[in-house]
Amino acid sequence: MKRKIRLKIRRHRPGSKTKPRFETFSLTIDEDSSVLDALEMILAEQDPTLMFRRSCHHSSCGTCGMIINGEERLACITRVSQFEERTITLEPLSGFPLLGDLAVDMVPFHEDIDERWDYLRDAEDLGGTKLPEGIERFERFENCIECGCCVSVCPVTGRDKPFMGPAVLAALNRELQKVEGEKIQPLLDQAGSERGERLCNRTLACSRVCPTAVYPARHIMELRVRLRGKEAGAGEEEEEEE
Amino acid sequence: MEHIIIIGGGGAGAALAHDLTLRGFEVSLFEKGELTSGTTGRHHGLLHSGARYAVHDRAAAVECIEENHILRTIAPQALEQNDGLFVALSRDDEEYGKSLLDACRSSGIDAKRLSAAEARALEPALTPDIRGALQVSDATMDAWRLAMYFFATARRNGAALHPFCEVQGIDIRAGRVTGVEVCDYKTGKTKTVKGDMVINAAGAWAGRVAALAGIDVPIQPGPGVLVAVEGRVTNMVINRMHPAGEGDIIVPQRGLSILGTSLWLADDPEDISPPKEHVDRITALCARMVPAVGEAVVRSVWSAARPLIRDAEASSPQQISRTFECYDHKVIHDVEGIVSLLGGKATTVRAMAEKTADLICRKTGREVSCRTRTTPLIPWRSFFSDEPGDESSRSAP
Repeated sequence: MKRKIRLKIRRHRPGSKTKPRFETFSLTIDEDSSVLDALEMILAEQDPTLMFRRSCHHSSCGTCGMIINGEERLACITRVSQFEERTITLEPLSGFPLLGDLAVDMVPFHEDIDERWDYLRDAEDLGGTKLPEGIERFERFENCIECGCCVSVCPVTGRDKPFMGPAVLAALNRELQKVEGEKIQPLLDQAGSERGERLCNRTLACSRVCPTAVYPARHIMELRVRLRGKEAGAGEEEEEEE
Repeated sequence: MEHIIIIGGGGAGAALAHDLTLRGFEVSLFEKGELTSGTTGRHHGLLHSGARYAVHDRAAAVECIEENHILRTIAPQALEQNDGLFVALSRDDEEYGKSLLDACRSSGIDAKRLSAAEARALEPALTPDIRGALQVSDATMDAWRLAMYFFATARRNGAALHPFCEVQGIDIRAGRVTGVEVCDYKTGKTKTVKGDMVINAAGAWAGRVAALAGIDVPIQPGPGVLVAVEGRVTNMVINRMHPAGEGDIIVPQRGLSILGTSLWLADDPEDISPPKEHVDRITALCARMVPAVGEAVVRSVWSAARPLIRDAEASSPQQISRTFECYDHKVIHDVEGIVSLLGGKATTVRAMAEKTADLICRKTGREVSCRTRTTPLIPWRSFFSDEPGDESSRSAP
């Protein structure tokens, strides 16, 4: 079944004299299509200058995060028919420098993430009774696809306080669960810094919008418990440090 | 050193930018959209062992297993290294398995025969109907992050990367390419970029790019449908033990299972909407191997256009070789300074880049050998955390 829809897209080029404006495109598209399919149709048939990021089309790369009808989502797994209204409003993620239209620069996202943090983890147990010859354990990628949705929705990041944000804290907590010995303390220090866990105001918006079930708020909670335990139990060490 | 202009910001362009910067060339890369927004990102995420090609396309199989070993060492965090199985569901499959085992061994692919019970001990989600399996060194790749590993390393070594910049013209004077006309969608401005050589690495779009130079290249977009379903039901890649066909592969990735694929031939790499009947057929065929995927919630459906090299002799699209070719258009079309990189696949992008850079060295009279087999790549995250160099100055003559 085909569906007639309108995409109302925020258009802007940084540095241009034209102010940001909304432009509406009408199209007829298969009702199973994603918002990303609709954007690609506009790009091919109506406006080759429209800027948006995309790659994998199935929520593993994390490039097509944007604000769709007011909420952070991935365009590739958001279907045009999941909204009652025929007009779908698209805006770029907030809190990131704009490259143009719906495309943002992800540099700030990676500012506090160490590029060496491990992106692989043990895979879930699927009930197998043996491992293949030559494989010590089944591994898989982390759930976080670094899309920026949690950072965009967070009411603290991008405001006056320099909060490192939910994605960094979630990645940091995952890394903490994998490292041992002297690698632990620097991570805890980062989480407990002035830009860390303490600035989270527990809105839980990050977990609500996360498209891949990372639930950053839960990681922040775990960090909070871990940091407080340390403060309560290690008063003398703290005095020594001071 | 010579200034090489690469058109196309997919896996091939990424690997080529990396190879050329290591050899000391000045490199500018232009991609009309975001990096990897064409075929590369839409890739199903299989790092081939080569077994899929071993019986009918030995050249591609040998390329795959070599590259498989290399990528495991230079970009480990872009791979889930859990191996793969080819599973037999019928007597015909078992027959094919015999030639598959022989072909794997003669192509250098380590293949281990497993009984049905052994295979189900590894992967209990497999149908109880399987009759046997082969274990091979398939793996899951993050198609975006693997390409970004190459881009991050190339940029740190000096490559100027220009996403959202479309090459709209190729300048030719007296039979020689002198540069390109580029429209930068970030500014809306068009400019001329001079270069010593232009490399067409546009994948399924290579025909369009070559046409800018008045050249016809034998590229044929070959789209296929992919279906991502919720739930990771196996840890190993699951292939059907039969000649390359449809609905015969399940690639686990994170919490998803990616079902593939179909194949048809298209004229336009952008007109590839997934036909509904393909989705149903692929899902049903994959569910014969792993029943759980037939019941799973569909997360996404999309299609990707393979960059096939036209082959009038092939009896079916599946029989078209998945190897790659570098075309020096001086030899074929008497236009100097332009090379097209055609065919290939995500698993073999590094080898494609090596062969192309070797050709560029021969054409420019430079004797610099390839170093990409052993040079570890810098993690994709540094693409964003590195301070980029002054890219605009590099693209000026």
